[in-house]
Amino acid sequence: MKIRFILPALLAVGSLFSLSASAQSYSITNARIVTVSGATIENGTVVVRDGLIESVGANLKPPADAQVFNGSGLTVYPGFFDTLTSLGMQAQAAATGRGQGGGPAAQAQTPQNVSNSNYAGGLRPEESAIDELKAGEAQFETNRNAGFTTVVTVGRSGIFNGQSAVINLAGDSVSSMVVKTPFAEHVSFTTIRGTYPSSLLGTFSALRQMLLDAQRHQELQKLYAANPVGMKRPEDDKSLETLISVLNGQMPIVFNANREIEIIRALDLAKEFNLKAIIAGGQESWKVTERLKTQKVPVLLSLNFPKRTAAASAEADPESIDVLRLRAETPKTAAKLAQAGVKFAFQSGGLTTLNDFYANAGKSVENGLSKDAAVRAMTLSAAEILGVENRLGSIEKGKIANLTVVRGDILGKDKTVTHVFVDGKLFEQKEKPATPAGGRGAAGRGTTPDAATAVSAIAAVGGNYSVTIDIPGQPLSGTFAFTQQGAILSGTIQTQLGTSPIKDGKVTAEGFTFSSSVEFGGSTIEIIVKGTVSGNQISGTIDSPQGAIPFSGTKNP
Amino acid sequence: MKKITTLFLTILFIATVSGSSVYAQAQKNEVLIRNATILTASRGTLQNTDILIQNGKITKIGTNLKASANAIVFDGTGKFVTPGIIDAHSHTMLDAINEISSSVTSMTNVRDVLNPTDISIYRALAGGVTTANLLHGSANPIGGQNTVVRYKFGRPVEEFVFPGAPPGIKFALGENPKRIGSNPQPGQTPRYPITRMGTMEVIRDAFIRARDYKQSWDDFRAKKTRVQPRRNLELEPLVEILEGKRLVHAHGYRSDEHLNLLLIADEFGFKIQTLQHALEAYKIAPEIAKRGTAASVFADSWSYKLEAYDSIPYNAAILWKNGVNVSINSDSDERARRLNLDAAKIMKYGGVPEEEALKMITLNPAKQLGIDKQTGSVDIGKDADLVIWTAHPFSVYSRPEITMIEGTVYFDRGRDVLQRAEIAKEREALEKLDVNKAPGSGATQPRVPSERRIEERDEADLVNGGNH
Repeated sequence: MKIRFILPALLAVGSLFSLSASAQSYSITNARIVTVSGATIENGTVVVRDGLIESVGANLKPPADAQVFNGSGLTVYPGFFDTLTSLGMQAQAAATGRGQGGGPAAQAQTPQNVSNSNYAGGLRPEESAIDELKAGEAQFETNRNAGFTTVVTVGRSGIFNGQSAVINLAGDSVSSMVVKTPFAEHVSFTTIRGTYPSSLLGTFSALRQMLLDAQRHQELQKLYAANPVGMKRPEDDKSLETLISVLNGQMPIVFNANREIEIIRALDLAKEFNLKAIIAGGQESWKVTERLKTQKVPVLLSLNFPKRTAAASAEADPESIDVLRLRAETPKTAAKLAQAGVKFAFQSGGLTTLNDFYANAGKSVENGLSKDAAVRAMTLSAAEILGVENRLGSIEKGKIANLTVVRGDILGKDKTVTHVFVDGKLFEQKEKPATPAGGRGAAGRGTTPDAATAVSAIAAVGGNYSVTIDIPGQPLSGTFAFTQQGAILSGTIQTQLGTSPIKDGKVTAEGFTFSSSVEFGGSTIEIIVKGTVSGNQISGTIDSPQGAIPFSGTKNP
Repeated sequence: MKKITTLFLTILFIATVSGSSVYAQAQKNEVLIRNATILTASRGTLQNTDILIQNGKITKIGTNLKASANAIVFDGTGKFVTPGIIDAHSHTMLDAINEISSSVTSMTNVRDVLNPTDISIYRALAGGVTTANLLHGSANPIGGQNTVVRYKFGRPVEEFVFPGAPPGIKFALGENPKRIGSNPQPGQTPRYPITRMGTMEVIRDAFIRARDYKQSWDDFRAKKTRVQPRRNLELEPLVEILEGKRLVHAHGYRSDEHLNLLLIADEFGFKIQTLQHALEAYKIAPEIAKRGTAASVFADSWSYKLEAYDSIPYNAAILWKNGVNVSINSDSDERARRLNLDAAKIMKYGGVPEEEALKMITLNPAKQLGIDKQTGSVDIGKDADLVIWTAHPFSVYSRPEITMIEGTVYFDRGRDVLQRAEIAKEREALEKLDVNKAPGSGATQPRVPSERRIEERDEADLVNGGNH
């Protein structure tokens, strides 16, 4: 009897604590409020309570218990979306390393995938971002400080990248971060090293066979449910199980495709199997607007615009005119999609400097996109494509309190993100350089305090390494030239593709990470390199929007 | 004078509307080629003859033909007209050629990886090629499915696919498939087969599996089984071969292997449509002819690898004398541009008559690919896939001036020459953009002198009336 009373009491205490943590109420007054769903309020108030938007309007009196911010000179936007990232994903395994084959480097860091699937690693649609998502909001600091509150996250390896999740960039547990899971199945037209499919030819036939298998799987399940007698029981295959919801249109399928022909191939496959497709990347999507519109396919448009980043070697031919044209045309894509009536939202496309996100959205405006449409592409249009528009994407009563507060115009040159609310939780920014004492010093720029304190426990990686990058079918050799100063790593990477400087280089206890830009096939590819050191050997993976590639190297004496 | 007429027309096109849309209209309307020497590839040579094209088809061949006022007229005086060249073995416009992970990759189809922006398409058009058989590579005993395309450069990819062309598939014998097995890529397990006998076994095994697969469907359709068999994309094309619905194009060099393959086909009751390369086919010409199998060979490529040592330049002539349908293919983006000269070589080696040599790059490959009702010769009722040459196409001084597909011009030398100035201007403007400047340099890279640029200068001289 007693137990009956104690249990509800415990529960009540638990929920009281959580209530008190999030019941904090904020009011931003005298601010310009870009609601996106309705007219912009030039001078208004937004009230946030308990993680939701309690009210918004021009003549609102802030509630008595609310912490009030004078928003004079500030603009409040719905929290911005980055519609394709790998945020919070554990180190991505190379597609090839999963299951079979793979070089020593790949095997060293890819756990054997355990799945009741009959398909090879890289062809496992059941893998889900939330199973890999690291908990904790600190990891999202840079993105949040840049004004992002909601992202789509998914791994980038394999042909099937797996099922993505829509997450808010706050919360200390995975379950509190998740807004929607799964959002979509993601596909890259890539290959699997050392096994089928090892070419683009095989990629398409493998995808086609799996979709056919899933169709049959569904039929067999129906037959078996109707009458199992005299029938072999269908296998419990998780890969096919996942694809059934793709085939039935319950789960969208996102194809990573930039070139016109890649987009057409994705659209052809979507048409063949009547899939609910989304194009991610979409550099040349302006050439295919007619089909995108007819098939009602939205675009998660990358703001990582191609630009020339490296000087060509002396012997090189002049760049092809197609490459020159591509760089000139890409900033016009958003305006052309808008004009054609193709739905689109912006994504960072692997940009390493998030400020370029807004700068390039601004370039889209210079090239004919309306400002409203540009803001919509990072807020409500994104929410609509992700299917969360009833909860996010605009400043409306009852929606989730994701807000980005900006001094200046987010698409203009002079701007500072001053406050970010995620699920009603306030993240205040240090306004630089006007208020050096304000904020809590977590601007996420330059060297972090963590790196400085970790000096004593870090690895030694300085020197020149001869490196082999295991691009399937055509291994690429090159040199990593590392200069280490404490926890800071600088230097260059040099391959046949040219020489690129190391950016954001850090040395940790186990190894190193850095990013860089590589000129390849006419576009600029942002890569993130993570590696470990063991004696005079280094190994790790290079992550790019095209997938993860293992590398290994030896220090030159 | 004639050149000036063409150029003048071309200038008009560019000045009024964009060139391509004018040409696109031509397809709906009329095209008249006047007073040309026509090498028909079916009925000999016609002197001083006109060709009238309506709605993309050849509707009249004769003298003093009349066209409506808005027809596009080409003066063919002193020029030669041939059917568009058909390249029976090409890998142009493919973003992937070989799926090497398996010895049997019949589930793959080059249709999935066509790239309509490949500049080699345009270069092939400039050499008079209008149609090509795009094949999977030769890494596997049974490779992928082919696609026959017309080189409609600038059009959407689906318009390239030749309507009604029977489906085909690539097979491969000899050094290539066994070498892939013996030299695995890093991370790949060695692949069976690594010998020629293994290659034959792989093919036989695949057809035994295909026969069983077909049986499982037959049983299901006859209601002998309750559950529908799994659709198997690897075996489906092989069943189509067994049913005579899919053409086999079999890469091979040595005659013993090709003969072995013919025997396997006999065993399973299907026909090998073409032997590709077939450098030793002259040794088994009667055996090939008896089965109605065709051969697609090189004109004079030999001894470039061990299995090519027994090749002779008389191969095509001997096959032809034995009644085998012979075509000359390129297997190369580069050689594709001058298949006319490869055909000319066949006249030199073995005395094949002129029209028979021309057929080897036109009507014969059309028959091999099952598209000879639509293309391959200059005949009334066929699609107007035509080339206008400055001289006899078997002369080294000849070059295509106009290449058209279904009456629509896809290559016009006069327009090409003029476009170069426009493109140079566009390039100059593009190179000034920030996105195209190398970082830190403040300017684009200085142009590197190359042979290509020197050639452009020669072309400019040509436009200005110089002789080359």
